[in-house]
Amino acid sequence: MTSTLNRRDLLKAQAAAIAASTAGIALPAAAQPVPGGVDALQITWSKAPCRFCGTGCGVMVGVKDNKVVATHGDMQAEVNRGLNCVKGYFLSKIMYGADRLTTPLLRKRDGVYDKEGEFEPVSWDEAFDVMAERLKTVLREKGPTAVGMFGSGQWTIFEGYAASKLMRAGFLSNNLDPNARHCMASAAVAFMRAFGMDEPMGCYDDFEHADAFVVWGSNMAEMHPILWTRLADRRLGHPHVRCAVLSTFTHRTMDLADIPIVFKPGTDLAILNYIANHIIQSGRVNEAFVRDHVTFMRGATDIGYGLRPEHPLEQAATGADDPGRMEPVDFDAFKALVSEYTLDMVSELSGAEPDFLQELAELYADPDRKVMSLWTMGFNQHVRGVWANHMVYNIHLLTGKIAEPGNSPFSLTGQPSACGTAREVGTFAHRLPADLVVTNDEHRARAEEIWRLPSGLLPAKPGYHAVLQDRMLKDGKLNFYWIQVNNNLQAAPNNSQETYPGYRNPDNFIVVSDAYPTVTALAADLILPAAMWVEKEGAYGNAERRTHVWHELVQAPGEARSDLWQLAEFAKRFTTDEVWPADILADNPAYRGKTLFEVLFQNGNVDRFALDALDPAYENHEARDFGFYIQKGLFEEYAAFGRGHGHDLADYDRYHQERGLRWPVVDGKETLWRYREGYDPYVGPGEGVKFYGRPDGRAVVLAVPYEPPAEAPDEEFDIWLVTGRVLEHWHSGSMTMRVPELYKAFPGARCFMNAADARERGLNQGAEVRIISRRGEIRSRVETRGRNRMPAGVIFVPWFDASQLINKVTLDATDPISKQTDFKKCAVKIVSVA
Amino acid sequence: MAERHDYHHISSAVVTVLPGWATSVMAAIANMDGTEIPAHQDHRIVVILEGAGARELGDRLTNIAALDGVVSANLVFEHIEKEEVVET
Repeated sequence: MTSTLNRRDLLKAQAAAIAASTAGIALPAAAQPVPGGVDALQITWSKAPCRFCGTGCGVMVGVKDNKVVATHGDMQAEVNRGLNCVKGYFLSKIMYGADRLTTPLLRKRDGVYDKEGEFEPVSWDEAFDVMAERLKTVLREKGPTAVGMFGSGQWTIFEGYAASKLMRAGFLSNNLDPNARHCMASAAVAFMRAFGMDEPMGCYDDFEHADAFVVWGSNMAEMHPILWTRLADRRLGHPHVRCAVLSTFTHRTMDLADIPIVFKPGTDLAILNYIANHIIQSGRVNEAFVRDHVTFMRGATDIGYGLRPEHPLEQAATGADDPGRMEPVDFDAFKALVSEYTLDMVSELSGAEPDFLQELAELYADPDRKVMSLWTMGFNQHVRGVWANHMVYNIHLLTGKIAEPGNSPFSLTGQPSACGTAREVGTFAHRLPADLVVTNDEHRARAEEIWRLPSGLLPAKPGYHAVLQDRMLKDGKLNFYWIQVNNNLQAAPNNSQETYPGYRNPDNFIVVSDAYPTVTALAADLILPAAMWVEKEGAYGNAERRTHVWHELVQAPGEARSDLWQLAEFAKRFTTDEVWPADILADNPAYRGKTLFEVLFQNGNVDRFALDALDPAYENHEARDFGFYIQKGLFEEYAAFGRGHGHDLADYDRYHQERGLRWPVVDGKETLWRYREGYDPYVGPGEGVKFYGRPDGRAVVLAVPYEPPAEAPDEEFDIWLVTGRVLEHWHSGSMTMRVPELYKAFPGARCFMNAADARERGLNQGAEVRIISRRGEIRSRVETRGRNRMPAGVIFVPWFDASQLINKVTLDATDPISKQTDFKKCAVKIVSVA
Repeated sequence: MAERHDYHHISSAVVTVLPGWATSVMAAIANMDGTEIPAHQDHRIVVILEGAGARELGDRLTNIAALDGVVSANLVFEHIEKEEVVET
């Protein structure tokens, strides 16, 4: 034991030294570590991005005997500078849950597939045989529109890219959507509409340059702890810095707020228009900036709520047919629209203190104050989410506070590669890589050229988006469905009426690839065991356009295989003659009789790097299985879409050396701020600012009003329900719920409630209640204390707990433009169980 | 003579506190078992967490994050040490 005691002291000294250095604190001499001491521990350290959220922290992963035994924040990673949040802390354990899936499981009865059968272990061969047979039958009987796939912002870049190729170019279906639709779609669509290019112009360096932070609809303190720490360091280290936090309830992020604002659900739209009005009325419009770089548009109004077309709200909506319509107007028209949003009117509507509203507006209006706006789901999961995103850009554009250090409207992301994969690779139903879209003839032609495919092959019609996929499964129009890296049955809105029935519809075959038996996997017909995180080579892209690559560091358990392997291997089971139209093959006979693997992955691009291009220090199971360096081949083919078009990526190998690089990477240099001369290589000398994503080089300021939520409390359903996350869990909990520590920390979801609301209903702290909506109900327990403090009339329920599926209760209303669900606003009643 | 393995976890964290809260937060942390404060400065406190299992450390970190006055509590370093315990 004595030698381990020495090691223990050594490790403690090392732990203290790394933490002190990270915090910028000098350690007392007595606590200095022994130099070189930890080398003796025989751990191999490699870099990787964290698996959990969109922040994109760098992590050092320590491996011993094919097992991850240690992690620590990567001191060289600019994002987190050595820190890891509580989720990142548990990274080393996410792969080692006792119920990890290690073999394919197929529902069988009497030895054959049966939808009503029980799960039995099968070989990959049998799994793929059944899957291919089902898929071919559906294609033959119903065509490509009956085939779909649901992916994720947790896919690696290669996986999303391979999935997009297989679905669009292989099975000729655009029914591919990521769960990022539930999370980011409003942000992405607004970027495209306002700037003609997706993703933020600024980066995390803005945290150290801003004089004010405005946090809209985001509990950053719990959801983005590392970025929150950067923000807090700036606020606490610089007395002139101010912080405003806006939310529908009081949460931990409010602790640091100089300007705390709790508003009624949905009225953030009115507050945003009030700020624009205040800027105009107080004469603080940056007129030169507006004259040279901005164009004004008016959006369609009364655009409905993305419900089924027969819903009375859709029938009544006069603008629902073309919700995304924008028409040019001038500054005066914009000014006239926002002039209705006076302080009195907005304070009354929103319930927010007028003094705080005015202070908030002044942060933006003051020309000497650099402002960083930050937002997540409060804006994005909103029936007017695209508008909310536009409205915050309006404010930054009117004042010219954009695209320079510290002046930064910044859309945060929830998933590790929501940007890098879902958006940049283009795994949405309407997208192709590098902001190209399936509806544009030239864009499809470009994809066909890069992918070396016959001209005219790719389908032009956008596929079903996430919520529509669920509806089409239920209605029997989508019959083959493959889900990878997400837990949609738990995450989808109104899931007992709109999601589950589709999975169990006897006409449908549902495949789920996952590392764990989630509720979604258990509702499937075939479960494929997935390799995760450092069990494969990977690449993610974070919220600040940073592309980050890692090596395979440990071997996946049992028969688990990466999603990339699954996609490429499955492609071998189809020939072009089985899935492509006869006329295309008649015109392009060289493609006849080839497998989809050959035409998509052995196309002379993806297979052009031989195994000797691999780093001999690391294993790469996919490359060994396929006989070429498939990840590098996919990456370089994908990069061809963006190079020279403002989405430039560096050579693949360089990413193995860097802690990520922010695109566009031109002449080997990353870009920290886009659209501004001196920072962005795409803005030429003398141009100053250029929003080059749009043909006129101008960004759009959009005139749109406040419109109410799809459903509001009434006499019977008398309280607002807001859903979201808590510190200890990330998303649906299918990874973090495996980690016993996290499970224990927040063992069951609670119904956070105002004490007066509870008293009125005769409910005590901890009482068991039914939360009932027009759609469904769940049971939970009342929490009147705790970190989330509710105003009267609003409850908050976290959605991670599989035993309390709050999405049975939520409404499947979406933003009609982005098709993203509003998980933040519906009406419920609370009834005691006792 | 039986041989078994014990696990010992050693971690370090940086805790950020609101102005005026450092003293009370440090006192609360110091009261927790297996926890040391090797250094602090302004609104930052360095904490070492030790224990027999990650569950224990996770609970403690969550407790620290939930203390009044704490802005954030982030882990920096984690090491799991397998110790061979020889029983005679």
